[in-house]
Amino acid sequence: MRRTYLGEFEEVVLIMVAILDGEGYGVTVSQALEEHTGRIVTFGTVHNTLIRLEEKGFVKSELGGATAERGGRRKRLFRVTALGSRALQEIQQLRHELWQMVPPHTLRLSGL
Amino acid sequence: MNSVSQPPRWARRLLAWLHPWDTLEEVEGDLDELYTYWYKRSGPQQATLRYLLNVVSVLPPFVRRRQRKEEYSQLSILKPIMIRNYLKIAWRNIAHNKSFSAINILGLALGMACSLLIFLWIQDEFSVDAYHANGPQLYNVMERQFYDGKVEASPGTPGLLADELKKEFPEIAYAAGLSWEEERTFSVGEKLNKEKGRAAGADWFKMFSLPLLAGSAETALNAPANIAISRKLATNYFGSPQAAMGKSIRIGNKEDYQVSAVFEDIPKNGSVTYDYLLSWSDLLRHNEWLKEWGTNVPETRIQLRVDRNGVSADPARLEAKMKSFLKSRNPGMEKRGLDVQLFLQPYQEAYLYSNFKNGYQNGGRIEYVRLFGIVAVFILLIACINFMNLATARSVKRAREVGVRKVVGAGRNWLIGQFIGEAMVLTALALVIALGLVWVLLPTFNSLTEKHITFQFATASFWFMLLGMTLVTGLIAGSYPALFLSSLNPIRVLKGTIRFGSGARLFRQGLVVFQFALSMLLIIGTIIVYRQIDFIQTKNLGFDREGMLYVSSEGELATKYGTFKQELLRMPGIQAVTKMDGTPTNGFGSTGNVQWPGKDTTTSIQFQFSTVDYDFTKTLKVNVTGRDFSSDFGADSANFLINETAARRIGYKDPIGKPLTMWGKRGTIIGVVADYHQSSMHTPIEPFIAKLGQGKIIIVRIKPGQTKQALASLETLARQMNPKFPLTYRFADEAFQKLYHSETVVGALVNYFAFLAIFISCLGLFGLAAFMAEQRTKEIGVRKVLGASVTSIVALLSEDFLKLVLVAILISSPVAWYGMSSWLQNYAYKIDIEWWIFALAGLLAIGIALLTISFQSIKAALMNPVRSLRSE
Repeated sequence: MRRTYLGEFEEVVLIMVAILDGEGYGVTVSQALEEHTGRIVTFGTVHNTLIRLEEKGFVKSELGGATAERGGRRKRLFRVTALGSRALQEIQQLRHELWQMVPPHTLRLSGL
Repeated sequence: MNSVSQPPRWARRLLAWLHPWDTLEEVEGDLDELYTYWYKRSGPQQATLRYLLNVVSVLPPFVRRRQRKEEYSQLSILKPIMIRNYLKIAWRNIAHNKSFSAINILGLALGMACSLLIFLWIQDEFSVDAYHANGPQLYNVMERQFYDGKVEASPGTPGLLADELKKEFPEIAYAAGLSWEEERTFSVGEKLNKEKGRAAGADWFKMFSLPLLAGSAETALNAPANIAISRKLATNYFGSPQAAMGKSIRIGNKEDYQVSAVFEDIPKNGSVTYDYLLSWSDLLRHNEWLKEWGTNVPETRIQLRVDRNGVSADPARLEAKMKSFLKSRNPGMEKRGLDVQLFLQPYQEAYLYSNFKNGYQNGGRIEYVRLFGIVAVFILLIACINFMNLATARSVKRAREVGVRKVVGAGRNWLIGQFIGEAMVLTALALVIALGLVWVLLPTFNSLTEKHITFQFATASFWFMLLGMTLVTGLIAGSYPALFLSSLNPIRVLKGTIRFGSGARLFRQGLVVFQFALSMLLIIGTIIVYRQIDFIQTKNLGFDREGMLYVSSEGELATKYGTFKQELLRMPGIQAVTKMDGTPTNGFGSTGNVQWPGKDTTTSIQFQFSTVDYDFTKTLKVNVTGRDFSSDFGADSANFLINETAARRIGYKDPIGKPLTMWGKRGTIIGVVADYHQSSMHTPIEPFIAKLGQGKIIIVRIKPGQTKQALASLETLARQMNPKFPLTYRFADEAFQKLYHSETVVGALVNYFAFLAIFISCLGLFGLAAFMAEQRTKEIGVRKVLGASVTSIVALLSEDFLKLVLVAILISSPVAWYGMSSWLQNYAYKIDIEWWIFALAGLLAIGIALLTISFQSIKAALMNPVRSLRSE
């Protein structure tokens, strides 16, 4: 299977969508980003990344019902797809395996 | 909403205006929500600031577009499967409309064949002299002569110039003189033949890349008795280049030369030709006068030095330094009102840029190259326009097809691709035919242009050119149908309410006008070139060139000329015999060293000069006032004949009997010869002086209608008196034709091209007329039913085209007039451009157009109206 490339920021956003579990949309994702990683990014960056993730098939989206609080505008809610979750797991697994291969002293030395 | 503050309204508007519509709603909502959040956290200012920043971040080009689910990705027009499809459809269309396709392909093929031939010719012209390894460093040293209020450029330089320049200027690596072409008799054992060659300086083979098959560049021309010969001569006389080395050749049955080198035959694209080269020292030994600094006959070539970094010496600086070099060697010059400056002409340019006007370079063959380049483009363009017109003509039929395709879902790109593809297929077919045509025509073309062009399949430039030509032709030819037909509205097409707008009609009419204007230009050009050449060749030169022979005097013919002349005059068919320094039409040497009482010493008049024999005027059949040289007057050896122009320049009212001093020797003018043309019509008649003496060319006048007898007499006598030398003679009128060789070639070519252009244009008109007739079928039907006559319908249909042709004539006439009058500027003696030429060309164009259209119009007019009207 063709491996789909997942960028670092994409990865973080994808995890956020997973964390938010169905409640992820532009606002919550950027707030979660700010809250958990301290990164303040423009809304456009988050928006674009979500669209790109969707194009790659890692998330799927649907428009939620209209609520009064946003002037009656609907929000687009994102969910991680099976492909997305598998990609995240593969990344985690890969990282884990790589960590196993790091000799302990190298990190200790460089950490000093 | 309960928020206290709102984000700026203009920012919201901006967002609504620019953001992609399919994500607008969610983004607006998200941003509003974020605004409220920021407002609560950090106050209105921060919130507004952040809001603005984020609005910008979701405006194009920063925002990403969400792909619409319902949007299908269109097949790219360049996908192989699509290209295959275009080709298939193109092929079906071509096969389906055989006559239209044939007209199209034929027109394109003719146009392409013609352009290909011209391209090959141009390529060949540019290759002349361009093959020397040292090419960029090679220069011709030329003279710019200021005298008599005129400036003239001359390639002739003093015989000693090359060696002296090399001594004087360190920038010059090598320098060599090159003499005029001479035909001399070679004998090796029993073999006897005339060969053409020159003399050249010792550096010659170091400068010019001419492979030596034997001998070395150092020693080839360094001794007076050395001779370098071509592979051809070596093989003819000695069997092989190696066998020739060191062997001796007797020249002129007098002197022996040793073969010191054998060089490869001069390539076909070399402008300076020679089969042998003698050394410069030998030339100077035989022509002491060449050592004079005042002479300007042989040519001088130099090669600039290249330093260790490969940088060549600067020619402009060298030119400035050597400008007044001749004055330092020849101080007396300026006193005679003559100033001479040296200048450099890049050797590789010399062939294409050889014309000088007022001493400065002014075109040359490059003008023909440009002219034909333009003609090639014109003809190709005419062929392309045909294609466009014919395609539009068929567009009524094709419109339906386009409509159906569009309805089924073809995008505009797809249709453009299809039409361009179709044009490409036709162009490719035309190219194959064109290549075949060129293949067949090349020998004829070569003999017409005296070239040796071959198909160079191996060179990349040839294939590149073919590919480029096909692509460009296909694109141009296919562009209009592609853009026009693909733009049609399918609904209107299928409902049958489509009207071809006035824009399209105007465009088509413009094309026809353009096409015919180009054809008209070529017709007018052809007529004028033809008339000028005819004028030159039939103009009374002032002497009779019919029945005149030039015989070169060699061996016994030179030493025993008196006996030869006497004997010859007794033979049948011979009327008169004389001798001159050169042939009457090719000009002679010139001199400024002529004095007479009352001469203005500050001006220098250059006189053409020749020695002549008795019977000079009788042989040339020129009128003379006073008398010709005659053996009855013993003192004639000191006397002069001058021509009318010379008499005018000298200023004598009645010159006969007046004194004249040439080269310090005083004499009397005994006669004034009527002006005759001594060289081509490009130059005006110059002052001329003749003196009694021994010339090199024997001129024989044949009795009218007795050419055969005369030639037989000449042959017998020459074999009898001069067995060691083969007889060579030329007819004067042939030699004369050669003066206008390039004009004759150009004239013939322009003729063919004009014919082609008109033919191709007419193919186009033919198609267009068919289109018009087809479009107006119903109208014609109604008219006929109402009682219109066939004639009136033919007139109706032809009228439109005639208007266009008339406009074309109006546009092209002034352009043609301007172009042709600047071409005629090349001649000192020329025809006037008369109005009737334009009228004739116009009538021709109208006539041909009418003939072409009438076929279609008559066909349309004769059609049974029932057939055209029944369908409604």
